[in-house]
Amino acid sequence: MTIALTRRAALACAVAFAAVPAVAQDTWPTGPVHVFVGFPAGSSPDILARIITDPLSQRLGQPVVIENRPGAGGVIGVQQMLVSAGDGHTFGTTINGPLTTAQRLMDDTGFDVAEDIAPVTLIATSPLVLAVSSDSDFTDVDSFVAAAGAEPEALTFGSVGQGSGAHLTAELFAAEAGVSMLHIPFTSYAEVTTSIMGGEIDSGFMAPSAALPHVEAGSMRMLGITSAEPFAQAPDVPVLAGQAGLPDDFRAELWNAFIAPADTDPAVIERLNTEINEILADPAVQEQLLAIGWQAAPGSPADLEERIATDTAMWGAVIDRVEAQ
Amino acid sequence: MQRDWPDLLGGLTLAALGAVAAVWALVHYDLGSLRQMGPGFFPAVLGAVLLALGLIVALPALRRAAPQPRIEVGVVVAVLAAILIFGLGLFYLGLAGATAAAVLVATLPAPRPGWRWRVALAIVVAALTVLVFSIGLQMTLPLWPRLP
Amino acid sequence: MTTWEGLLFGLGFALQPEVLVYCLLGVVLGTFVGVLPGIGAMAAISLLLPITFYITPEAALIMLAGVYYGAQYGGAVASILLRLPGTPQSAVTTLDGYPMARQGRAGVALFTAMASSFAGSVFGIVVLVLLAGWLSRAATAFGAADYAAMMFLGLVAASTIGASRPAKGFAMVTLGLLLGCVGTDVNSGVQRFTFGQTELLDGINLVALAMGLFGVAEVISNVRDPDRQGVAERLGLRSLMPRREDLRRMGWPILRGSAMGSFFGALPGTGSTLSSFLSYSMERRVARQPERFGNGAIEGVAGPESANNSAAITAFAPTLTLGIPGDPIMALMLGALVIHGVQPGPMMLEARPEMFWGLVASFGIGNLLLLILNLPLIGIWVAMLRIPFHLMYPAILVFLCLGVYSVRGLSFDIVAVAMIGLAGYLLTLARFSPALLLLGFVLGPLIETNLRRAFLISRGDPMVFFERPIAAGFVLASIALLLLSLWQAWRRRAGAGDEVSSG
Repeated sequence: MTIALTRRAALACAVAFAAVPAVAQDTWPTGPVHVFVGFPAGSSPDILARIITDPLSQRLGQPVVIENRPGAGGVIGVQQMLVSAGDGHTFGTTINGPLTTAQRLMDDTGFDVAEDIAPVTLIATSPLVLAVSSDSDFTDVDSFVAAAGAEPEALTFGSVGQGSGAHLTAELFAAEAGVSMLHIPFTSYAEVTTSIMGGEIDSGFMAPSAALPHVEAGSMRMLGITSAEPFAQAPDVPVLAGQAGLPDDFRAELWNAFIAPADTDPAVIERLNTEINEILADPAVQEQLLAIGWQAAPGSPADLEERIATDTAMWGAVIDRVEAQ
Repeated sequence: MQRDWPDLLGGLTLAALGAVAAVWALVHYDLGSLRQMGPGFFPAVLGAVLLALGLIVALPALRRAAPQPRIEVGVVVAVLAAILIFGLGLFYLGLAGATAAAVLVATLPAPRPGWRWRVALAIVVAALTVLVFSIGLQMTLPLWPRLP
Repeated sequence: MTTWEGLLFGLGFALQPEVLVYCLLGVVLGTFVGVLPGIGAMAAISLLLPITFYITPEAALIMLAGVYYGAQYGGAVASILLRLPGTPQSAVTTLDGYPMARQGRAGVALFTAMASSFAGSVFGIVVLVLLAGWLSRAATAFGAADYAAMMFLGLVAASTIGASRPAKGFAMVTLGLLLGCVGTDVNSGVQRFTFGQTELLDGINLVALAMGLFGVAEVISNVRDPDRQGVAERLGLRSLMPRREDLRRMGWPILRGSAMGSFFGALPGTGSTLSSFLSYSMERRVARQPERFGNGAIEGVAGPESANNSAAITAFAPTLTLGIPGDPIMALMLGALVIHGVQPGPMMLEARPEMFWGLVASFGIGNLLLLILNLPLIGIWVAMLRIPFHLMYPAILVFLCLGVYSVRGLSFDIVAVAMIGLAGYLLTLARFSPALLLLGFVLGPLIETNLRRAFLISRGDPMVFFERPIAAGFVLASIALLLLSLWQAWRRRAGAGDEVSSG
């Protein structure tokens, strides 16, 4: 990590000395700003990006254009940001996957997180809830883990594919609780939800906002949440940490971050970080984010860098275990 | 000595494709078990089925006559080149430039002689694409060739 | 709220001038993007999404839904006139619609498509209003084994349509299934047949495949075709109008197609594609002279067009009553609601009745608008055929490239179109059916994931396909259909042998 940091700093200096005049930071942005999103228009990461870029555009005095480049769990979006980089006006937002687990799960992502990407700031985090059908006998995590421990693969869980956040979270949960569950991959949360409600599979980790409507309608139950503290959108759901043999520091969150190509002017990154942190401090924005299941998580570029490092290590260990099976 | 060449060559090509896919899947991907099918199971089975079907199509064609279609090589080359120029040039020539270039290349095999109508068509279609896609549908694309 | 109260309430909502304008805007834009090759409802809705920030969620949904079903009307135009289907379901329409156009009956084909689309939509609306709750329960009752068995039935039923020889049809379906394997395997994360191209991780782009197989291949075949050079003779008004005979032939196919579309549309996944292929193969099976199919049989346009339009309407049942989107376009529309802070889900019907009933009423109004809008346009579309082909095809090529590009903004997909186009041209020359390849490609991933999921859940027990009543029904139907086809083929061969020996 330190090596990468130095390399990036050196690169940034070189760029600053070579081409960019000292006034760059005063005049930036000189044209429309492009923000690449690795998910289709209307998806949760896209809506999140739009919540941020609308006020950002006003603050920068230039249009901010969202470029949707969906595919490969967000990896295509990061790739395309790097392909279009070089004009100082190209950025991206991404979920955690491409920055933390993709390097392990994919043959070749085409980029190196440490070398090619400059963190700007974390935008928001989202915990996952453990959801079961309301027809099931499970009323809390203890009864769930007890049933899951009766024999190996006694219970099934659905996810949106091998290596997805929902899959790895469930594997982490199972490993910490000392049970083994059978993984049933699906292609979308809509399918996982239908399958849980239809009684075909036993459980699934999903975003609280995806489960809530069905909980309110009485067809689903949320047994626990993966954040360290209760989540504002679903305050009654108990945290999983410390329950049913899980360690007290059990935590698994999805997040969304604002990133830049590594050769971006550090002054520009500083400016963006400040603007986005101010946007995230606005209670109206926080409420908009919460409505779609995201908790605002402002911070410095260094905070994001650290988050990438710890999550890469944590999920890497889970992937090791899954691969060893 | 007459043959049904389209079925013969088509069938054999499909059979070869099926064989390659099946072997590739067997070598590179895990077959798994019935309970936990691996990534190789489907491609391997489908490849084998395609191999069989390709042969079923090809073998009877050996003893059967059929009209032979003519492959328009010039048209194929011009049309594919036009698409490639458009796709690869979009970001360097811009929407207007790439459209004009693609139209000019695409019209090469057209049976009508003369160049004036080709240039006029290139200009008209370029204007039309800019109008429909850039202004109408608001697609974000560079419009003009990138200056060095 | 009873059904009648709901409908009246919805009509009152949808007839407000402001809402009506958005509905009109949606269907006009939908028709327009549907006519453009390659640009489909998906791209148009993504592009419209930012605009919906500024209007009420109900109006936004009504407008986006208008784009969705309006594109189905428009898609038929490009399929019939130019053999340029933007979606797999309009690929079915080309099978007989395009031959009709080549026979100078383009106007009749377009009229048939419009009328069947309208009739199918109306049928779908009635089903949606009366059976929405039942349809959504059916959607949750379907498990992995049921889906796998249903898709298998679809493949068996449709595998021979549009093929000159059954083996060639099966070969195309198999090739399509194999191409469907390209990309990241959902179950294992293994990257299959991607050869290091990240652009292939989510598989081959469906629009690029459709545009290459049909559009590019069609352009290449026609550039030097003498029939397409001269200005087509002026068509009299009479040739635009269907004959009484045509109208008589449309009735039953529309009814059967609508019924099939209404049922399959409500099932998440690919109801619309499956129902149009199934409707086509059914019409061919019940027809007295099946050999007319592929040569301009009006039933081959009427059935599938009514099926895919009724499916487009009933697809809203699980989306609206459960908040569970059946396909990416539905997910996109729910996304538009989420932007407005409306959380889609089972409670939405009660919390916001204007959403459900307003939308249902707008379906009726929108489809009526589409019919009024499109019938006079038929003359203009047909007149387009009089433009010499050499002036038209360069524009077609550029438009279809942009259509493909609009899906996810990757130049890679345009390059793929060129390669698929070459393959499509060779397949067309050798008389292999690209429509069946497309069917296999769409159904392949669904069959594979559902089959594997069914075996995972049953812990490897194949009896799951016989113990679940829905799955068992589909499996038995598939077997019966296979036996029937084999018997028919055997009889035809025996009959053909007699003819040859006697002639």
